[in-house]
Amino acid sequence: MIKVCTVFFEGKYSPDYVSKFYDSLKRNTTVPFEFVCLSDTDVKADLVLPYNKHSNIKLHWHKLKFFSPQFAYQKPGDEIIIMDIDQVITKNIDDLINYPVKDNEFISYHTWWPRNIKVNGGFYKFKSGDFDYIWNDFSLNPEYWQTHYYENGDVHYKYYGEQNYVDWKLFEKNITITEVPGEWLGKYTDNKKDMIEMNKLYSKKFNTDYMILDDINEKIKIVHLNGVKNNKIWNIQ
Amino acid sequence: MRIICCRFGDKFTDWHVDNLKHMIDNYSGLKYDSFEVIENDIYGNWYNKLQMYDKFRDGENLYFDLDIVIYNKLPNLIRKQFTLLDDTWWREPAHTPLNSSIVSWTGDVSYIWNKFVSNDVFWLDKYNKGSDEFYYKQIVYQTYEPVCPSIKNNMNYKPEEYSICTLGQMQHLMEKGWTGWYSDYFIQR
Repeated sequence: MIKVCTVFFEGKYSPDYVSKFYDSLKRNTTVPFEFVCLSDTDVKADLVLPYNKHSNIKLHWHKLKFFSPQFAYQKPGDEIIIMDIDQVITKNIDDLINYPVKDNEFISYHTWWPRNIKVNGGFYKFKSGDFDYIWNDFSLNPEYWQTHYYENGDVHYKYYGEQNYVDWKLFEKNITITEVPGEWLGKYTDNKKDMIEMNKLYSKKFNTDYMILDDINEKIKIVHLNGVKNNKIWNIQ
Repeated sequence: MRIICCRFGDKFTDWHVDNLKHMIDNYSGLKYDSFEVIENDIYGNWYNKLQMYDKFRDGENLYFDLDIVIYNKLPNLIRKQFTLLDDTWWREPAHTPLNSSIVSWTGDVSYIWNKFVSNDVFWLDKYNKGSDEFYYKQIVYQTYEPVCPSIKNNMNYKPEEYSICTLGQMQHLMEKGWTGWYSDYFIQR
């Protein structure tokens, strides 16, 4: 069983992000999967698990729970995919959802824009339980990790840094990250200047047209949004 | 014999109280006369627990935190003297070696409450990491032999040589969606 696991909490996004993402996944893949959402409100999903606001676990850090094989009714051999909900699927993603994963292999997006960490929290895929230490180690001291990257200056907002933590744990355990083809991933932001630079970079990197102009580059399967105000991107579904 | 638990604020719910009673009634082997729940939230923190020493001044008393799993017949945990857990057999002492997840006493130990409440603002400030440090520094106590390990060292296998585990920082294991050996003993949500 493939489980596509997500987290939603009221604030930055509205619940319709989850339903649109869910519908979009269903529409754009023929691969059977179970859609799981850890959420603080009722959302459209095959399985909704409670986001406990009174817990000492903050914001995106709840995503790490899916690394525990004891969470979300995982079974041995399940393939776990963790995805952010602020993504728009632009064409069939069978190749992404079905991306082959071996034992102890960690798969993530190839991030083709400049970044100081290797993993991309928009997409993780692994076999159930293979990286349980990511959750287990975190759960021993969540207060420390949840502010560590902010206090260290690696991220600009308190309680951010979940990707940095995952990146660190994989580095610590000497895990090589497998990346899906970078040209599958687009990035969208409201900032026009940034978009021009990203378009140029994408074009140069993959020797192709611009990433997103009037239309979406045909190589792109999924677009990761960067900012909540750019809802017009939904029209391209 | 009196079983006591405390429920304050939003962190724990009626489910947690019902769940404790479920585990006691079905797995612990304990026979008790009353099951008491203290809910009067005076301090907004776990110093509220100290009210039980004022409220229950007679007979045998046995207190449990709500974030525990009881999975087998308990050893005799009733004590005459004021007794609580010493955790240093499975963890570093930190600011206190003590853990009040399980507490027992017989008769009147209201001096604990009286000492605290007579200068509560001072004690809350002095021992601001929790009431266990107050016990450690200010109260004469006895401790249990090792009876209650932490689940953090026993996530994958039930520690058969014991019959109760504290969840400690792993309270999330009581939430819907977590399944392990421990969840078999909780009330289904």
